[in-house]
Order: sequence, then C-alpha cells, then structure tokens
Amino acid sequence: MQRAMLGGILTGLMGGMLGSLTILRQLSFFSDALGHSALLGISIGLLLGLNPSVVLLPFAVVFALVVTYLLERTRLWTDALLNIIYSSSLAIAIITLSFVGQYKGGLNNLLFGDILAVREPDLVFSAGLLLVCTIFIGLTLRTQMLLTLHEPLAIARGVSVSAHRTAFIVLLSLVVGISIKAIGILFSAGFNLPSGPSIVATQLAIFLTAMALPRLGVLGQG
Amino acid sequence: MKEVVLAVEQLTVHRETYTAVQDVSFSLEAGTDTAIVGPNGAGKSTLVQAILGILPRLAGNVFILGQPLSRKGSLAPQIRQQIAYLPQNFLVDRRIPMTVEELVGLGWDRLGFQVPWANSRKRRHAVRDALAKVDALHLKQQPIGGLSGGETKRVLLAYCLVYPRRLLILDEAPAGLDMRGETEFYQLLYQLKLEEGWTILQISHDLNMVRRHCDRVLCLNRTLLCQGTPEVALSPDSLSAAYGSEFVRYHHRC
Repeated sequence: MQRAMLGGILTGLMGGMLGSLTILRQLSFFSDALGHSALLGISIGLLLGLNPSVVLLPFAVVFALVVTYLLERTRLWTDALLNIIYSSSLAIAIITLSFVGQYKGGLNNLLFGDILAVREPDLVFSAGLLLVCTIFIGLTLRTQMLLTLHEPLAIARGVSVSAHRTAFIVLLSLVVGISIKAIGILFSAGFNLPSGPSIVATQLAIFLTAMALPRLGVLGQG
Repeated sequence: MKEVVLAVEQLTVHRETYTAVQDVSFSLEAGTDTAIVGPNGAGKSTLVQAILGILPRLAGNVFILGQPLSRKGSLAPQIRQQIAYLPQNFLVDRRIPMTVEELVGLGWDRLGFQVPWANSRKRRHAVRDALAKVDALHLKQQPIGGLSGGETKRVLLAYCLVYPRRLLILDEAPAGLDMRGETEFYQLLYQLKLEEGWTILQISHDLNMVRRHCDRVLCLNRTLLCQGTPEVALSPDSLSAAYGSEFVRYHHRC
C-alpha cells in the first residue's frame, strides 16, 4: 500500500512536470499513441520470452524516436500519421498477444494497471527518473518556455530545437513507459492529457462522489 | 570605416523545390538602418531566416559581428545574445499562460543551462526598465494572450531591448497594425534606435517609410537586383525591375 502510494505520487509529479509542456506543445496525441504502442512492446517481449518490464522502456524510447523522425520527414498531418501508427501498433500487439497464448499477468492488468503490484525497483527507477526530469526541466526552463511559445524566436536565440525535442521525447517516453505498470496503458495514454496533479484531483473527486452517492440515494429515497 | 555588423556573402537558399534566394551578398555597417524591399514571394523572409540560421542555406557565408554562422546555423552564444529578431507574424497560442513580464524576461536570459532563479533581481530590474521604455509597464502582469496588436508589438520591442543588442532584424514588424499604430511603432523604434545604437535590418512594404528613415535599401526578387541609398534603389528603374513596370506606374500615380 505504501509502495503504491509512493509510486502514485512519483508518477503524478513526473506527469505534472512533463504533462504541462506536452499539452502546450500539442503533443497529447503523441503521448497517447506512445502509451498504446507500449502494448506492442510488451507483446514482443512476451513473444521473445523476455520480461515485459525489461523490454517496455527501451521499446518506448526507440518507438518515440522513430515516430518523431517520421513526423519530421512526412508531409502528412501530424494527427493522421499518429492515428495510423497508433491503430496499427495496437492491432499488431493484439495479433502478437494471440500467439503468446494465455498471458498469466492478464490483459486487464496491462490495460488498467495494477498500482499495488509496483515493486521496489520500479520505485527506485521512478525516483531516478523524477530527479532527471527535475534537473533537466529546471535547468532549461527558460529555453523550454521560449521553445513552447515560439520556435523561430528560440532558434534565432541559438536554441537547438532538434536536441531539445529529442531530449524531451526521450524523457516523455520513459515517463509513459514507467507509468504503464501503475496506471495501465489506457490511463497512461490519457495521463499526459489532464497532467499528473489533475489525475490525483480527478481520482479524489471520483472517490468523494462514490462516498457521497449512496448517501444522496438514501436522501432521495427518504 | 565603421564596424561591419553583418556580412552576407553569396548566400543561396533552397526551399523544397525551388531556389528562393540566389547569390545574395551585402554588408551592414554599425548604426545603419537597411530595408529589404521586393514583391511577395521574392525571398525576403527566407533571406533573413537564413541569416539567423532558422532556415538552412545551400551555399554562401554569413558573418555576424565578425563571427561565422555555421552550416547548421549555430553561432557563439555571446553573439546570439546581441541579436534580436521580430518575426512577421508573432502568432502564439493565446491559451499559453505566460505573462508579459515572463516573455520580456526570456529576452534577457542567456538560454543555456541555468537554475530558474539565477540573477532574478537583475532580471526583474531589466524587465521593468524595458517595459517602462516602451510605455508598457502597466501590462506587466497581463497574460500575453490578451494583448492587442499594438500592445504585442510594444512588448516585443521590450523583449528586444531588455538586453543590450547590436543587431535588430525585423520581418515586417508593424504588419497587422492600423496607420496610427504603425506610425507610433516607427516613432518608438527610431527613438529606441537612437538611444540603444541598434543596427537595423528590416523587411518592409512601406516604401514611403523606407524613403524617410532608412540609410540603405536592398531590392530583392530572388536575387539582389540593386542596393544603395533610397534615392538610387527606389528609383523607378529599380522598382520596375523588382516589382514590374505596372507597379511603378500605379505607385507614381498614387
């Protein structure tokens, strides 16, 4: 329970930090595609007989870099390309999983996550990643702000857009990858959308509503 | 002879399938105001973007304050800090929660690795002084999304002057302003130019303004057609070479 709480807090902090920039740079759908493609990484790991957790992170990083490369090279609209990648990687993942047979971890755990199954090594990795994110975003905050606001203005000031973009994408993919275990593919995909702190707020709101509803029901009946 | 702030040698820039700028050479001396004129699609914005390293160049050299701009568009940070650029359309997402003070502050920062609170007092003073100079101190806490066109231009000028610059590159800076806004913008710009000693390279469609204020004019239509004082470069012959003879007849009738 303590591990679950700590894991949730670490994920929430990282999500808040990168999520705000993700939304402002209109990368929400990108992180969505990234989250769904994680299932492909997991299924490839299972097919090769490797531990899915070990395969997941390198796969997420490589996948994110390939997608970024494609986005820079193609003349297709961003959302069209992301949609193609997103649905095809999901379809390939489902087909691959059907070859694996019965996965004892269960598909539900992958899709919805199991925060109680967060282990100590996961926490150590999350804490390390949070530290890296804090240092990187903290030291380059001004650059990140100008880049988010107006790219040509940042280039004119000597900011290397491609280096910053790659660093941000790598961090984002690692954060999405690490959060899969705790909150699952479906939530991690949306997790950068409302950003970390608002997830906590949403969960609290759902919890309070769940507490309040039976009482309201009683009142309604009375 | 005055110091050369910007030197461009045989610059050629390709855009996708065509050559947008070919074999352009010129230089700017310190304290001068140079205008680039030419019809739409002449490659004016492409030229300044290649000078700044925003667009890659195919051939040629660019020297800013004596330092070469590398092929990949990188330049020594201390030189970069002395250049300011105002883009043609400063289109930003109005939902970005940034205040005027934060935007102007970004003009002051040297954009490398630094803790966010570094030199905060100096920075705050510089931002306040810059906003006071453009008469926009009252906008300090306002979100940039809520600014009017004229206010945005004033704030961008504050972004330029918050740190002592040598070279200002303006890409149709007063675009989108009405006549009064444009006059006010140029008044402020030239007052600041005197105070700050800026060298200016600007793209302009307002030939009357160019005649009144600029020391030199570059007539561009993919290649550099002529350069010189406004009297020479804006003569009917030069204009008809750049814009076509129809334009010159129309312009003279007005």
